[in-house]
Amino acid sequence: MRDAVHAEWTKLRTVSSTAWLLVASVVLTVGISALATATVKCPASCSTDTTKLSLTGIMLGQATVATLAVLVMSSEYSNGMIRVTLAAMPRRSTVLAAKAVVVTAVVLVAGILAVLGSVLVARMLLPGGGFTAANGILPLSLFHGPTFRAAAGSVLYLGLVALLSLGIASTVRESAAAITLVLGLLYIFPVIGDLILNPHWQHRIERWAPMSAGLAIQATQKLKSLPIGPWQGLAVLAIWAVVALLAGGVVLRLRDA
Amino acid sequence: MTATITPYRSSQQTARDGFGQLLRAEWTKLRTVRGWVITVFAAAAVTALAPIDLANLAHNSAPVCDNGACRSPQSQAALAGPGGEAVTDNFYFLHQTLDGNGSITVRLTSLRRSAPVPNPPPGYPPFPTVQPWAKAGVIIKESTKPGSPYAAVMATVGHGVRMQYNFTNDVAGPPGTVSPSSPRWLRLTRAGGTLTGYTSADGTHWAEIGTADLGGLPRTVQAGLFVTSPDPESVQTTGGNNSIFIPGQATAVFDHVGRTGQWPGPGWSARTIGHDAFALIGPPPPAPTPGKPGPPQDHFSQSGGTFTLAGSGDISPAVPVVDPVEVSFFGTTFGLIAAIVLGAMFITTEYRRGMIRTTFTASPRRGRVLAAKAIVVGSVTFVAGLIGALVAFTVGQKIIQSHGWGPPQWQVWSLTSGIGVHVVVGTAAMLALAAIFALALGTVLRRAAGAVTGVIVLLIFPVILAIVLPLNPANWLMRLTPAAAFSLQQALPQYAQHTNACLPYNGCYPLAPWAGFAVLCAWAAIALGGALFLLRRRDA
Repeated sequence: MRDAVHAEWTKLRTVSSTAWLLVASVVLTVGISALATATVKCPASCSTDTTKLSLTGIMLGQATVATLAVLVMSSEYSNGMIRVTLAAMPRRSTVLAAKAVVVTAVVLVAGILAVLGSVLVARMLLPGGGFTAANGILPLSLFHGPTFRAAAGSVLYLGLVALLSLGIASTVRESAAAITLVLGLLYIFPVIGDLILNPHWQHRIERWAPMSAGLAIQATQKLKSLPIGPWQGLAVLAIWAVVALLAGGVVLRLRDA
Repeated sequence: MTATITPYRSSQQTARDGFGQLLRAEWTKLRTVRGWVITVFAAAAVTALAPIDLANLAHNSAPVCDNGACRSPQSQAALAGPGGEAVTDNFYFLHQTLDGNGSITVRLTSLRRSAPVPNPPPGYPPFPTVQPWAKAGVIIKESTKPGSPYAAVMATVGHGVRMQYNFTNDVAGPPGTVSPSSPRWLRLTRAGGTLTGYTSADGTHWAEIGTADLGGLPRTVQAGLFVTSPDPESVQTTGGNNSIFIPGQATAVFDHVGRTGQWPGPGWSARTIGHDAFALIGPPPPAPTPGKPGPPQDHFSQSGGTFTLAGSGDISPAVPVVDPVEVSFFGTTFGLIAAIVLGAMFITTEYRRGMIRTTFTASPRRGRVLAAKAIVVGSVTFVAGLIGALVAFTVGQKIIQSHGWGPPQWQVWSLTSGIGVHVVVGTAAMLALAAIFALALGTVLRRAAGAVTGVIVLLIFPVILAIVLPLNPANWLMRLTPAAAFSLQQALPQYAQHTNACLPYNGCYPLAPWAGFAVLCAWAAIALGGALFLLRRRDA
């Protein structure tokens, strides 16, 4: 397993797209978070959950994380490398596990950078938007329990999105199909959410769709009125990821490469 | 003696290297890949996905509560104007009967909100202190029946002097606000069915604003002074849409009332026209508690030649919050994703398989290959989108009708109406442009995953981000990103003289339909330009 992880790490770090996608994840996350925090002003929206607002960029950063995780698997299929990999490491579950470990590790590192950057930028921008102690808003601090939970949870969210993407890519093998499925799964529910008029269905979608459930971890206010609790929401995303990985593992075992 | 050697000539007939052949080649590639054909059919099928629950239309928004009385923004009084459209006709009217031709002239010296606005509840932005469309002036109306034809000349708080008639027509006069030091003279004359509006700053030099042709106006009409003001609304736009209203009431002071023509009497009478624009739902409002005043009452007082009127409401077209046509195009987002993946793979697969080298050997002019690919993938996704959109539109309109939602509030559009054509053709064009955009980005990146992610992030992600952002940046997002094209699916008319919060969250986009589409076209054109540049420079 150690060698498998080492091999996967070598493959990942020697491809130029890895670095590009990780940098893009951090930059896009911090950029969108900065845009969101800079545009929300306090006298108008003082009740905004500033922690959640400062982590808005995760919604975009997950797209590049998903692309990276999909490519870890599907690029091997597109250039035939998978046959070399499986010849060298015939135990397929080991291959998938090693890939999962490596991709999760790099995504978590990038996620920590992205989240720290977002919180730092928000801490600097929010007072300018009127979120000051005078208006009853404390500065954003990671030493505040719920804020730390939201920040750490957002890093875990990115890790789970990477695992979900890896699982889907192992199942469908084709990179375009895999990334379409992943982004569709993440983005389509929030988009159609406001076209669904039935409140019961809206509620169900918010509880079970991977993105809206998983991002519940970012909420620090009105936790009682959320469709799903923060950790329960992250658990829903984890279920999606585990199911996708299991499906990928089974398919990997059963099919020819 | 030398033998002549005949050079080898292929027995193959020379084929013409025309653009037609190129198109045919690309079409053959597309139709012979099973996955792509399935994607095309899937694009049509998911675009046609029927709106699951259009029947829930009326229950969409949480009721708006004010002083204990709750009202649903969807249940706006289904009052029809002269043109059949839904209207709000609610104002305070001081009127007399006018028999035949005549005119009414008045000087307006003051128009302002009756009481200062209260502080909003926690979490809501402050209420606007001025209602730009609060208005007062002279009006000639067929009868006191709400929704009946009218023409009016008025001064507004924020939009200067206007002449408005039959709810949907609005002609601008001179700008400026009314104050005792800068009064406005307003005049409305009637000659048969033609009403002409004039305004003046001093009562001697008059300028015509416009004329209204109200054919079929009876001989006796109601003419007089009016005042009305929409309810100030506070909209919480971050994280969804919640809005609360407080009663709006404006007070107007008139003098120098002059009349010509036959006014048979008996004299002025004052009344509130129309009900509140919103039907009351839920429990009735509790009796006003002492110290906490209830909604302000319309009232009128006269001292000498000075008339003071206070009234609330609006005289304007009524536009519902939820657009049923847009809701019926629930499946477009799925269709777009299918079109994007097809467009991206149409070129990236050639790079992956090395087919691109064969393609460029057969047709070395690379720009033409890109053009042929764009035309083929654009046409195929257009046809798929057209079929899907036709089904979605037809089914959506059927569902609206079968649940009893109808005019005037919910317009039922035929496929051949202007709205039907622009929504259905526009949706198909959106799918085609999304595919071409993905093709161009796929040519630049040569990787399907990157191209698909890029186009989905640019085209679909802004819709999600717009829900989180406040109104202003959200609207800019919907102007600048390719997501602006979603404005093609708007069927609700937008009127300048109607103050309705237009929120991207509710599917109300800031750009006009084809302007929004032009934004998507511009993005696709830039991507195609970049693709062409790189295609020519790079090795295949």
